[in-house]
Amino acid sequence: MTRTRAVRMRVYFMLAWTVLLASCGGAAPNLHVLEKPKNVDMIVKMNHGDFWKTVKMGAEVAAKEYNVNLTFKAPQNESDIDEQIRLVDESIKNNADAIILSASDYMRLAQVTDRAAYYKIPVISMDSEVASARITTFVGTNNYEAGQKAAERLIKLTGPESRIGVMNFVRGAKNADEREEGFMDYVARFPGVEVVDIEYCESDEQIARQLTRKMMKEHPDISGIVALNEVASIGTAEEIQELGFGGKVKIITFDSPAKVMELLQEGIVQGTVIQNPFNNGYLAVQYAVQVMEGIEVKEREDTKSRLIDLDNMLRPDNQKLLFPFVK
Amino acid sequence: MKIQHKRNAMKLPRIRESFRLRSIQTIITVSFTLMTILVVVAVSFMLYNKFTKTAEENAYLNIQQIIEQVNYHLELYVKGMQDIYEVVEEQINDTPDISSPVLREQLSTLLHTREDLVSVGLFTPGGKLVLDNPDLEMRKNTMLEEQSWFESAHEQPQKLSFSAPHIQNLYKGQYKWVVSLSRVIKYKDHGISKEGILLVDVNFRTIDELSRKVSLGKRGYAYIIDDLGNIVYHPQQQLIYAGLKYENLEPVFEYAFGSYIDKSTGEPRYITIRTVEPIKWKIVGVAYPDEIVTTKKDLNQFVFWFLLVVCAAVVVLAMFVSAKISQPLRRLEKSVQSVGQGDFNTPIHVSGAHEVVQLSKRFNFMLHRIRQLMDQNIHEQEAKRKSELDVLQSQINPHFLYNTLNSVIRLAEKGKKEEIVATITSLSRFFRISLSKGKNIITLEEELEHVRHYLIIQKIRFKNKFNYAIECEDLALTCRTLKLILQPIVENAIYHGIEKMSDEGLIRISASIQEERLVIKVSDDGLGMTRQVMDQILIGGNRSGGSGVGVKNVNERIRLYYGKHYGLSFESELEEGTTVTITLPVEKYEDEQQERGMA
Repeated sequence: MTRTRAVRMRVYFMLAWTVLLASCGGAAPNLHVLEKPKNVDMIVKMNHGDFWKTVKMGAEVAAKEYNVNLTFKAPQNESDIDEQIRLVDESIKNNADAIILSASDYMRLAQVTDRAAYYKIPVISMDSEVASARITTFVGTNNYEAGQKAAERLIKLTGPESRIGVMNFVRGAKNADEREEGFMDYVARFPGVEVVDIEYCESDEQIARQLTRKMMKEHPDISGIVALNEVASIGTAEEIQELGFGGKVKIITFDSPAKVMELLQEGIVQGTVIQNPFNNGYLAVQYAVQVMEGIEVKEREDTKSRLIDLDNMLRPDNQKLLFPFVK
Repeated sequence: MKIQHKRNAMKLPRIRESFRLRSIQTIITVSFTLMTILVVVAVSFMLYNKFTKTAEENAYLNIQQIIEQVNYHLELYVKGMQDIYEVVEEQINDTPDISSPVLREQLSTLLHTREDLVSVGLFTPGGKLVLDNPDLEMRKNTMLEEQSWFESAHEQPQKLSFSAPHIQNLYKGQYKWVVSLSRVIKYKDHGISKEGILLVDVNFRTIDELSRKVSLGKRGYAYIIDDLGNIVYHPQQQLIYAGLKYENLEPVFEYAFGSYIDKSTGEPRYITIRTVEPIKWKIVGVAYPDEIVTTKKDLNQFVFWFLLVVCAAVVVLAMFVSAKISQPLRRLEKSVQSVGQGDFNTPIHVSGAHEVVQLSKRFNFMLHRIRQLMDQNIHEQEAKRKSELDVLQSQINPHFLYNTLNSVIRLAEKGKKEEIVATITSLSRFFRISLSKGKNIITLEEELEHVRHYLIIQKIRFKNKFNYAIECEDLALTCRTLKLILQPIVENAIYHGIEKMSDEGLIRISASIQEERLVIKVSDDGLGMTRQVMDQILIGGNRSGGSGVGVKNVNERIRLYYGKHYGLSFESELEEGTTVTITLPVEKYEDEQQERGMA
């Protein structure tokens, strides 16, 4: 009799406690938002240029949204691969919770990426890939497709019987190689189109100008040039304008610095393939958060490229892509 | 058997005893604790609800105020822009020639004073530049005829229109985000009045910065849309354009002013809408309730710890109070237990609450009374035993026997044969009834017979110095009586009343039932006695000779057997005689068993 009463009393007690605890528990937090802030290091190719600034802006928006301490690091120069390797090592030493890497060199960054993975630091590859199987996910433009888009427009402008040149930036960088590959594969469909020269400007404007002058000198019959990144585009287009070939030699560029936009309106540049750096930065951080929270992520996220010309440059959505900053 | 059981219970461990569910301590502790916890939980639940509600309301109010403030600033800013536009328009109107350097100078000054004023341009309705300031070269391929400010100026020539922020691509050397103000105005070119579209571009940066600075909690933000639903400002504009972010604009269009909870993205979001009146832009504040209402979480923790502490305190207090109440009771119980085991001498410790003190006192008093009664009992038992011994002694009183045998010898010497026979016969009867098989209770008939034989013997011995008469109601004969109660009285009457008389005395014995009492009277007409002597008889009992069984002893025996209402009473007058009245209860002689039990 007394025993059952004691048991019943205990049950009431437990019930009261659970009610109490439940009322104190509150709502379950959103799955994506981190309870405690985590350190995410973003290591990109270069610490200047609108493209990377926009990446950073996107990353910062995501960092604020998901409660992430973001550290943005980059070497002074895109060709300084050793410095980038050192920066990744530094992040490993500082026990970053996740690393977002935009590898300047596909092969040379592989080892340090594997090392990060060994220390259980997830590595998210952004913008350009790295030769490591330990990469968690890739966020960026489908560069092969971007190369094809450029080729498609250039051949439309120059016609199926033409000679064209390619101004690439860094040999060995995965996105550079992929753009070139996409471009070349598309060109190969037209037997009358011949790629007469491929140059690498090391992401340096002056070198790009020199190489353009050299290219025009050696191949005066070139009717089209494609420049595969921001710096190469500025150098090439400005040199063509200066040489007086503006409008005669069709130019398709990559990315949208103000100078390129100016030249687009001037009719020197006929089109530019733009990526979505803001989304690259944003999604890379978002995926880093998801990986840290143990949520499955896509193996690749294509942030889409888009070809901009005079007709569509003033569309509101393109304006924001072309000019991400309000100055 | 019962005592054995109790001892076992006492041997159980104390801990188990104190945790017995029915003990006062447990009952008080549990009920007190439960009660308090219930009240505390209920009160804190109510307070918690009240607090969180207030905190929530405050948080929402705060957000509304922030958005209100942004709205206020924007309205002010827009009005300022309108004013500037009107100043520019006035200056152009007042100038007789549009190409005059004075106008140019005026416009330059204006542009310099207002930092966020980007450019002023006047275009013909066909889109040809008439005047611009700063003096910049126009770009090619501007497609200005397709731009919204140009189109809206054509559509509503009189209304000053505000464009959505856009890139100004008209002039060389810059790409700036601007908001364009445009309207059709009149100007004079070399005195000829013409119509043109005046464009004033205002830097979007001020609005952008104002909106960017809006902080609604950690993750909250504000965005602006124009009356057509175009995004004017959104911190994640690119994501929305890319379809990676979604903003539920449908309800936003329904409100011009208001707040609601939006759940279209899965997570509840608190939306606040205000409209910038002059240009119909809507400022939309987005906040995450679970984040802004941080007090809820804090309060949760506080309430949790508060309850824990209160519960602990209540349990301790309840245990203390109940112990305070139950301890004296337990002490009392222990004392009572030792009393139950036969120890009547230890007094109970009197302390604790008032009720316990009272109980202890009463118990002590009771104990005292029990002790008294027990002493009395012991005393009475002793008295009884003694009187029985006395009776036993009287049954074989050697003095009486010696006297009687002496008188028999005397009679024998005188040769009085008949008297000898009478004496011996009576003596024999006398002793037979005296002994009566050891019985203590006999019938009145036997008792009267006994005393008659005694009288016969004494009469012979005292040479007929007295006469006697025995009368008895038939009903009374069968009544029960203690044995040997009459003989001592009669003996007294002979020795103290009649022996010293000169005349012949008379001893009268009568028995009757009066008012349900058996009344036996022994009266003599002897010397009688004083009151003092009479009083002395029942107290002191001076035994001078006699058969050894005192009158006092008779009285005590009667009272021991039958109670205080019965016994002896005396009436006496000097020279007149004495009457001794014996009162006994009427008990019929029925069962021999019962009698034996009494003995």
